Amino acid sequence: MIELEPQVWEMLGRYIGAGFALGLGGIGAAVGMGIAAGQANEGIMRQPETQGYMLRTMLIGQAVGGSPSIFALVIGLLLLFLPAGRLEGANFAAAMIGAGLSIGMGCFGSGLGCGWPAGKACDGVARNPRSSTTVTSSMVIGQAVAQSPSIFAIVISLMLIFVVSAPASALTAFGVFVGAGIAMGAGALGPGIGSGQTASGAVHGTARWPESSTMVLRTMLIAQAVSQTPAIFGMLVAFILMLSSGNLPVGIIGFAVTMGAGISAGFGGIGPGIGSGMVGDYACQVTAAKPRLDALVLRTMLIGQAVSQSTAIYALIIGLLLLFVI
Amino acid sequence: MDISTIMSLMNAMASQTADAAATGITPEAVIRAGALIGAGICMGFGAIGPGVGEGFAAGKACEAIGRNPQEAGLLTRTMLIGQAVSESTGIYSLVIALLMLFVVGA
Repeated sequence: MIELEPQVWEMLGRYIGAGFALGLGGIGAAVGMGIAAGQANEGIMRQPETQGYMLRTMLIGQAVGGSPSIFALVIGLLLLFLPAGRLEGANFAAAMIGAGLSIGMGCFGSGLGCGWPAGKACDGVARNPRSSTTVTSSMVIGQAVAQSPSIFAIVISLMLIFVVSAPASALTAFGVFVGAGIAMGAGALGPGIGSGQTASGAVHGTARWPESSTMVLRTMLIAQAVSQTPAIFGMLVAFILMLSSGNLPVGIIGFAVTMGAGISAGFGGIGPGIGSGMVGDYACQVTAAKPRLDALVLRTMLIGQAVSQSTAIYALIIGLLLLFVI
Repeated sequence: MDISTIMSLMNAMASQTADAAATGITPEAVIRAGALIGAGICMGFGAIGPGVGEGFAAGKACEAIGRNPQEAGLLTRTMLIGQAVSESTGIYSLVIALLMLFVVGA
């Protein structure tokens, strides 16, 4: 039998939570910014006279793409230095770990996703410096949408830090808080990466065929919206977990049901998010090259994305069955 | 890590409130809990592959339609057949998850 003082639980939760937040949340943005810088170097090597445009595009792309890691830093500092009060002992530790997992995985996906459009924009500006304004604006719009999963993750993290109240059973509380964090964090991972891939296809197409930029922007936004459905499913399950904690089973069954629902709905969203984003990538490039095929491509894209989303729906159903039927 | 270590860790958490005595962390409850959480892990991780694979198929179908729009019907049909095959592992995960929920964990 292991007995821990409440202060030890609090420290455990703070350090593990902040570790997840910064350890996971930093990876994506760091890799993404590296991709942007690598493409900029390659572009300057080919066309040294475009370095002014290139530096500007790279820095804008990196500034927007770096913001998920700043979100993770803010939440990590909150987790470390927030005065404890509402929750105590193991409940506090569970809420902090859940908040760290949510923001860490959520920012991983969005940070990585924002790197690809920045890289493609540098590549495109090197090929065609005259279109740099169109390319940069298409990049920034794509990156902004790719960041929305990390915004959802911040909302859930802040709710876990400031809003939630503990269920009667400590094991159920652990499952609810960590499960909500996993549902939101892992659920945001795939959509962040996928929306970024779609944006990278759109930026690539816009750079090569600037005259079809409006059509490409429309296809990109539709594809990104569909690829973000798994993040919405994850957020839904996180909200259900946090708000229905009063009438869940207690003890170890309560732990299994809530944790299982979080893992299912969260990790189930990774594949569909990335897959739908890949469809959007190709669809945006085809739309840019052949704007007259726009309706046909849009139809095929939506059918393909719908089929790809089916497994996310299975995962959501298993999560809801665990919460409401068992 | 053996089952007694897991149970003593869980007891340490449960001892924070008084629900250990009320719910009873028995070996049977641990097994049922394992089946329930296993259902979540099974469907969660099982959904990753089909999602990515079907997306790749659809993306390539879009590219192919861009090259040869006359064959759009054939390409869409081929895409759907490929996606249906790729979906099968997701359905296996769903079946196993449902079995664990309603047969093992019931």
